[in-house]
Amino acid sequence: MKIRALAWMTFCSLLRNRLIILFFVVFACVVLFMMTPLMTFKSMAADNPSQAQGMIISLISWIMGILSGFGSLLAAWSAADAVAAEMKSGTVLAVMARPVRRWEFLLGKYFGVLMLMTIYVLFMFAMSNILAWIASERIVTNPWVLLVYPMVRYGIYAAMAICVVTVLHQVFAFAIVLFLGVLASLVSPSSTGLAFLPDWLRHCFYFVLPSMNLLSESNFLAVTSASLKKTPWTEHFTALAYGLDYALICFLFAAWAFRRRSLTRE
Amino acid sequence: MTTAIEFARITKVYQRVFSEERTEALGDVTFEVSPGEVCGFLGPNGAGKTTTIGILMGFLFADSGQARVLDYAPGDIRAKEQIGFLPENFSFYRFLTGPKLLALHLTLSGRRVPDPFGFIERLLAQVKLAGYESLRIARYSRGMVQRLGIAQALIGDPQLLVFDEPTSGLDPAGRKEVLDLVHSLKQQGKTVFLSSHILTEVEQICDRVVIIDRGRVIRSGRLEEILRAGGRVEVVVDRLPDQAVAAATHCGAEIDRGPHGIRLRVDAGHKRELIETLWAAGCDVVRVNPIKDTLEDVFLNLVGGGTS
Repeated sequence: MKIRALAWMTFCSLLRNRLIILFFVVFACVVLFMMTPLMTFKSMAADNPSQAQGMIISLISWIMGILSGFGSLLAAWSAADAVAAEMKSGTVLAVMARPVRRWEFLLGKYFGVLMLMTIYVLFMFAMSNILAWIASERIVTNPWVLLVYPMVRYGIYAAMAICVVTVLHQVFAFAIVLFLGVLASLVSPSSTGLAFLPDWLRHCFYFVLPSMNLLSESNFLAVTSASLKKTPWTEHFTALAYGLDYALICFLFAAWAFRRRSLTRE
Repeated sequence: MTTAIEFARITKVYQRVFSEERTEALGDVTFEVSPGEVCGFLGPNGAGKTTTIGILMGFLFADSGQARVLDYAPGDIRAKEQIGFLPENFSFYRFLTGPKLLALHLTLSGRRVPDPFGFIERLLAQVKLAGYESLRIARYSRGMVQRLGIAQALIGDPQLLVFDEPTSGLDPAGRKEVLDLVHSLKQQGKTVFLSSHILTEVEQICDRVVIIDRGRVIRSGRLEEILRAGGRVEVVVDRLPDQAVAAATHCGAEIDRGPHGIRLRVDAGHKRELIETLWAAGCDVVRVNPIKDTLEDVFLNLVGGGTS
């Protein structure tokens, strides 16, 4: 009950956060801005249908990639802000004077962020279908892949941000999570970035940092035809277990760091 | 439970990260508050009051010493179940209304009441916030916020109340209501630990006082012991002829002519001599009172005129 109450309060606070409202406005702008090329490609369909279809699917995939990236930023920022704003305003003092354990407080914050990210993922899912419908295409896939994988990915980003913000300022926490996310994608075996790093260091980073490629829904989608790949359930299970485990470890680190944190109005 | 609050040789040092700079906020702080007592916690700004309350509530951790609150370590969930806390400048979720905030705190307190809405309504009425149920807290005045803070502190039916500046932001009527509330809590057997800058209020309601300055307890004890008569008396007369002025001055009396009579203050040893002199001069002695120090006098003497 306590965790649920804290999560709901966090969710309500986040919905009123100006920066997060701005995030959603940018989300809407990106989608609207992409309508022009989408409609252009659609008009080309009469002359060269297969080429137009390929371009439309690539564009939708690209838009969803951008929105997915935005989602990672949103998860990291809202998680960092959810904890930091309580410290800054001093509301943490009234809340923690109650019989609430510190990990319960953090878990409430974490679930509040996940509630926000659920809304975002549902928006993303609806948007991908709406864009495909506008372009007279159809995304043939099992919806859970498009819903669960981003959620687990955002769960990791949120847990990492909560972990860092227990010891650092929220801006630093956000920047560090962002840096780690970019670094993780650059050191993945399929990436050509950071080639100057020795192999042992790249492997080391690859195993320590969260593998967002593994948790990418496109990993399980044949994007060119927008249909679901035939993937055994064990592969889904392994990928999702990896993501949830990573988030859990980050959260446990956060709870450990927060255990002895001085609570004062900052 | 023998003590509600026990602080034994508590030390707290703040040290900045990557710096040698150390600030000792508390040094060897020792005091006790018994169950059912109202204890005033006084000190000038920067004396260590907030740090002490932070340690008491489990927000901060002492570097050494031992603290117990209701027989538990500070911050222990079993202790917090029995504590109501009003922080200084109570902060809140501004988008909520008063009843919603109290509902949140009721949930967090873990207390189960048969009719939560009725209970919250009664609590709001108790702190004179009835009629503002639909108003968002962002639109509350400072005094209303303070009243709401008091309501949230009372919501879990606590045994120990920790009030940090409970009358801050309240008008005189509101202050009186808070003092009456503390009185009624005392009658119910609750322990109240309050920090306040308004010494006359503390003097009215407290059984015990702890005075802290520069991180050290400089005086603590029961209020009547601290305000013990200082060995002087005040003689009030209706009139004071010129010949009596010289005789009174000879006895070492200080004369104060005020609208409510003439007051002569003298050491207790010269009381009889002064009164006989006044009678001989034809003055009518209206009253003789022992002069007690006020808490403000004691406080200012101890902290050297620092700002409380």
